[in-house]
Amino acid sequence: MHLWQATLPFCLLASAALPVAAASAWGFADATVAVQPKGAGINGGFKEQFTSSKPLSKPVAFAGSDTLRVILTAQEGSSAKRPHQAFLLLKDTQSGLDVSYPFMVKENGKSRVELTQKELPVQFLSLAEPLDARVVIGSFGSSEAYDSSVFKLSVERDPNVPLPTVETARFGKQPEIHHIFKDSPSNPPIIITLAFVAAVGATLPVLAGLWLFLGANLSHLPTALKSAPLPHIIFLGSLFAFEGVFFLYYTSWNLFQLLPAAAVVGVVAFVSGSRALGEVQGRRLAGLR
Amino acid sequence: MRWCLALFLCCFLAAVNALSSSGSRLLVVLDESTDKSLYSTLWSDLEGRGYDVSFKSPKSDKLSLFQHGERAYDHLLILPPKSKGLGPNLTPKNILDFLSKDGNIVLALSGKASTSSAISSLLLEIDIHLSNDRSAVVVDHFNYDTVSAAEKHDVLLLQRPGQLRSDVKAFFDGEGILALPRVAPQTLSSDSALVVPILQAPATAYAYNPKEEMPAAEDIEATGSQLNVVSAMQARNSARFTVLGSVEALEDKWFSASVKAPGGKTTPTVNREFAKQLTAWTFKETGVLKVGKIEHHLATDGEVAAEDLNPKIYRIKNETVFSIEISEYAYDKWVPFEVPGEDELQLEFTMLSPFHRLALEPTSRTETSTVYSTQFVTPDQHGIFSFRINYKRPFLTNIEEKHEVTVRHFAHDEYPRSWAISGGWVWIAGLWSVIGGFLAFVIVWLYSAPAADKVKKTQ
Repeated sequence: MHLWQATLPFCLLASAALPVAAASAWGFADATVAVQPKGAGINGGFKEQFTSSKPLSKPVAFAGSDTLRVILTAQEGSSAKRPHQAFLLLKDTQSGLDVSYPFMVKENGKSRVELTQKELPVQFLSLAEPLDARVVIGSFGSSEAYDSSVFKLSVERDPNVPLPTVETARFGKQPEIHHIFKDSPSNPPIIITLAFVAAVGATLPVLAGLWLFLGANLSHLPTALKSAPLPHIIFLGSLFAFEGVFFLYYTSWNLFQLLPAAAVVGVVAFVSGSRALGEVQGRRLAGLR
Repeated sequence: MRWCLALFLCCFLAAVNALSSSGSRLLVVLDESTDKSLYSTLWSDLEGRGYDVSFKSPKSDKLSLFQHGERAYDHLLILPPKSKGLGPNLTPKNILDFLSKDGNIVLALSGKASTSSAISSLLLEIDIHLSNDRSAVVVDHFNYDTVSAAEKHDVLLLQRPGQLRSDVKAFFDGEGILALPRVAPQTLSSDSALVVPILQAPATAYAYNPKEEMPAAEDIEATGSQLNVVSAMQARNSARFTVLGSVEALEDKWFSASVKAPGGKTTPTVNREFAKQLTAWTFKETGVLKVGKIEHHLATDGEVAAEDLNPKIYRIKNETVFSIEISEYAYDKWVPFEVPGEDELQLEFTMLSPFHRLALEPTSRTETSTVYSTQFVTPDQHGIFSFRINYKRPFLTNIEEKHEVTVRHFAHDEYPRSWAISGGWVWIAGLWSVIGGFLAFVIVWLYSAPAADKVKKTQ
């Protein structure tokens, strides 16, 4: 390191003097990516070589119990060397989330990283698109650092195993809520209502017909009107007025309008009724009814 | 007359000092007076924006954040001390008390020396974490200044941050490159909604302790965008606490420096503008919301009479209009507040839990405010409800409004009449046929001659 620092000014000088032969660049060689399922032997599972210039074309499948292993030899220029930074960077291009896994680097540049799905952030477990796996190699000084996509990693999960969830509170808009109103009261079909109204209305003519059949008549009306005309008219009128008062109460009046009117009509009905009923009693005593 | 003069004076003073919405007394806690001249542009910028800047050493006996139990300053800017801690007057507890009394704080850190454990424990209180050994520095071999840090790569060159999320307003955006020398990185606790990153390190960045020759892989705690260069915490009382990882970025030297990224062009830094944005936000010159008039009334076609505004009582299923007027403070004046892109200002109509949660739409604007309103039907449930606005967003001061109203049931004379209900016609017909039958019976009983004769005759 000290030696390196001491030679740096010279290197800078040299690079300034020879811009074409600019500072060397970091890179790697002998790189393999392997996915080893649990229990499979050393050579079991997927294994493929890749180079720094050309990424793998097919995404690497990475299932629940697999171990992903990336092995490479870091190089500065063409000589193997230990860099300060050697990361396997996983990035979700959709959300921009990135996580780096440092390689275990030996003095001779041989680097190795292993990871399982347990080490991935939860957000990476449920992605539709494969992750972008990049190798980042860099160090101090003027050598150009290396950062490039080397393969795609598609994280596969057993659909029967539930995804671990993370509950994180973040301030933001919340889902809208619209109150669900109770159904407004409904009426039966109007035709049924009208049929029953007709049935109820028909009771009156039926009743009248039955009375007439049994011999109901108004033969005593002239007699009654002759002997006590005023009480009879007023009594009947007050009965009709009572129903009229109730009708008004039903449609528009309140209780305080009803009560005085009902009291007046009631007194009139009582007084005229006792006279009228006296006349009826007279007819009974005379043997007319 | 004197009263008039006093009022005039007050207005005048308000106009002069109106720059921050929450006071102008700024205390800078600074280790030695020799440091002060390094940041002269920052001080003159702050004074130019109306701050009343005073400087104190953390060791000073006279330094006290409170006087007679009240805040002695409105804002606090703490530069990293050279000594072990911040002294007996600036304990984490005192600083948190200052925060809970609505004081705003900018805390600058430096990666040059390890951060004191007092500061680390203060930051722990607000869910901001420093690295374990408190002496990490962020390096990035892709975004460093080739002019000043060609070897060590510890002067980060970053774009100014844009929107944190698509529904959050950007207060620190703009063109240009920031130079951040020797950043002490922070990581944020993921389960606090109060802490937000302002500026994150690039994906290829990492932190290491420069005292160690080579970091072992297991020593690297966080990398990439999980490292924060600048982070902030806005407390529930809207007091703001900003942590700036690199105090050197505020120096005059970096305000006017020219930097060059690897393979890039030489560009001047925009540290000065960013420092302005950062201090302006923390000291409540930006991102401050104010609620003006709140009105609610029954929906009508024309103008609403004054006596019909904000009634105490509504009926169920009433068509109701709610409106709220909101202003935002922008450096020196109140401007109409616009809800950022995908965000919504939401009204809740609640009784224990929300029955309605609706988006408020801007309906009109005045010179200083926007009126947001919505119309809805009160639920078919009577009780004590409240109109609630609970608008808490990163970088904006909190709005919490609660206005209670009674929602009553239908009164006895507000139901539809029985003849309007077709299902009731059968009963109405029954009633009147009974009345008719009774009257007919009375007439027949009074005037009918006995029919017995006829029966006898037929016999």
